[in-house]
Amino acid sequence: MKYVVKLRNVKKSFGKTQALRSVSFDVYEGEIFGLIGPNGAGKTTTLRIISTLVRHDEGYVNVLGYELPKYKDHVRGKIAYLPEDARLYGRLTGWENLLYFAMIYSKDKEEAVKMAKLGAEISGLSPTDLHRKTSEYSKGMARRVAVARALMTKAPLVILDEPTTGLDVFSSYNIRKIIKKYAKELGVTIILSSHNILEIQYLCDRIALIDKGRIIAVGTPEEILERARASNLEEAFIKLVGDSYE
Amino acid sequence: MSKLYPIIWKELRDMIRDVRTLILIASLPLIVMPLMSISSIYMQQLQVSKVLIIDEDRSYAYIPFLGNISTKDIAMNISYLLKINGFEPKIIEEDDKAEYEEYDLLVKIPKGFIKNLTSFTLKAYVIIEKVVGSPRADIAESVINYVLSDLSRKVSKAKITYLAMLAKTKVTPESILEPLGIITTMVKPTGTPASPEEEFKVRLARLMAFSLIFVTTPSIAYINDSIVGEKERKTIEALLATPIPRYSLIIGKVFTASIVGLIAGLSDALSLMLFFVIPSMLYGFNILSYLTPNLIAIHVVAVYLSIFTSLTIITPIIIRSGSYRASHVASLTVVSLASIVFFMALYVDIDKLIPIARYALYAIPYTHAVLMIKNAVLGTITNVFIHALIITAISLALLLLAVKLFSDERIIYSKT
Repeated sequence: MKYVVKLRNVKKSFGKTQALRSVSFDVYEGEIFGLIGPNGAGKTTTLRIISTLVRHDEGYVNVLGYELPKYKDHVRGKIAYLPEDARLYGRLTGWENLLYFAMIYSKDKEEAVKMAKLGAEISGLSPTDLHRKTSEYSKGMARRVAVARALMTKAPLVILDEPTTGLDVFSSYNIRKIIKKYAKELGVTIILSSHNILEIQYLCDRIALIDKGRIIAVGTPEEILERARASNLEEAFIKLVGDSYE
Repeated sequence: MSKLYPIIWKELRDMIRDVRTLILIASLPLIVMPLMSISSIYMQQLQVSKVLIIDEDRSYAYIPFLGNISTKDIAMNISYLLKINGFEPKIIEEDDKAEYEEYDLLVKIPKGFIKNLTSFTLKAYVIIEKVVGSPRADIAESVINYVLSDLSRKVSKAKITYLAMLAKTKVTPESILEPLGIITTMVKPTGTPASPEEEFKVRLARLMAFSLIFVTTPSIAYINDSIVGEKERKTIEALLATPIPRYSLIIGKVFTASIVGLIAGLSDALSLMLFFVIPSMLYGFNILSYLTPNLIAIHVVAVYLSIFTSLTIITPIIIRSGSYRASHVASLTVVSLASIVFFMALYVDIDKLIPIARYALYAIPYTHAVLMIKNAVLGTITNVFIHALIITAISLALLLLAVKLFSDERIIYSKT
């Protein structure tokens, strides 16, 4: 299987704090790959390294065939990244938020409008809502536009850092539906991180458990369950991570 | 599609929709400059300033070659001139002084004044009591000095003429009163004669340069918000992971913020005209005729370049600090630096400074904005272009530095 992301023994420190001690995993083309771990485990740092925003100290990072950080400019046009708790531009409408990013990813205005229209469709918002300023949006509506903004680019790799954090049950459900539906329809590879084990189980083809800057396990949910001899992923996570969270 | 276009497209939309800030930017110079004009010229005259005049001498005398002179006339003259200068003079008796507790200045013509004034051996005095810390009392004193100096001169002339008559000799009173005179003529820097208008033009240039003090702040606040604000509002990280080149990002943001500067520049030019309209209306002096379209145009360009250079100074600092506090302090420092140069332009001839001070000032881009205006007023257009080129070159170099210093990691991880 062709890999889209390859990480080997990636390490990253911020001053005396070791954010990543040893992170290694592969993400294959067309899959939804989940990164699950507690707060401060290193999920966001890992995703930022893959998104070209942060340089790793040691190890090997390859995204879409390009080694990072050397070829970060080549990678940037081929990824779409939604950071954790990312917001929209409040003075712009939902449509303008989509069009802004569409213009950045497109060669001309025509292509940008087409891309933004796809974003509008993905968001599922009505034309009236799309032409309102996003400062008037609920958190759920804003997140739908933010996720749509990443997916509409049809970037070969879409990175979503905790896309449902802070949302209510219905909004989270809608976001998950959008991700599931359009990942397959658009044929993009997705890496997403989450605290929510049910979400990961619902969305992801394969997952990696990360804790204290180390990858504990990588595989399909079934493989992880078997390895941990657990009945669900939550139990597997607790067993594999150990007693430190008891 | 150029990657600069989306940035400018978004920033302009963001800017236009923040109507309150735009109104504030445009109205700040329009409010402040006329207010300065009103406060410096008109408000002073609105102050109620009481001046008491006490004539203790109440006498008169005949002075040959001058005529009758009385303390009553002197008091009346002082009172009249004070009145037309906006004061409230009152000629009172010494006994009534207790009734007037509040006054800015008291003029007393003491007993024996006329006797001493007409004497060839004694000197006459007028006693002035001035309330401390009253600027109006200073002005009243100068009005009184004018009346008394005129009287003193007339009496001196009469006495000299009288003595000359007794001595049977021919004298010109002026040659005795002021045997030494000074003749001043105005010349341009080139040495050619200059009219009093030229002197006014130089003062106008200083004032125009000073007016730049109001225009640097809004655009700096805007670029702060455009970079650090995006981080605070959690919109910058997604943007940084897009294929937008860093130079497009920075140039786009600086360029848009400089448009705010252009609005401020036009407002500043308009406010400058208002600054002059008020005294023109008050005194019927057509100062506006000096503000030619060329001068206004160069002023607007100088304003724009001052703002552009402020943005290019502040941007590398914001990029490296990434925090609101640090960028706010840095902004204040830059605004202060600009203010020092623009304020200094009121009093200092930068071209005349000793080389070390001059070259140190040349390194500050704002100096070239000041010199652009000065040269525009003096009509040395080549120098206007030279200084415009220097300030542009410094600004572009700083812009390149900002691009070079840009670090995604620093922006993301810096504390707001």
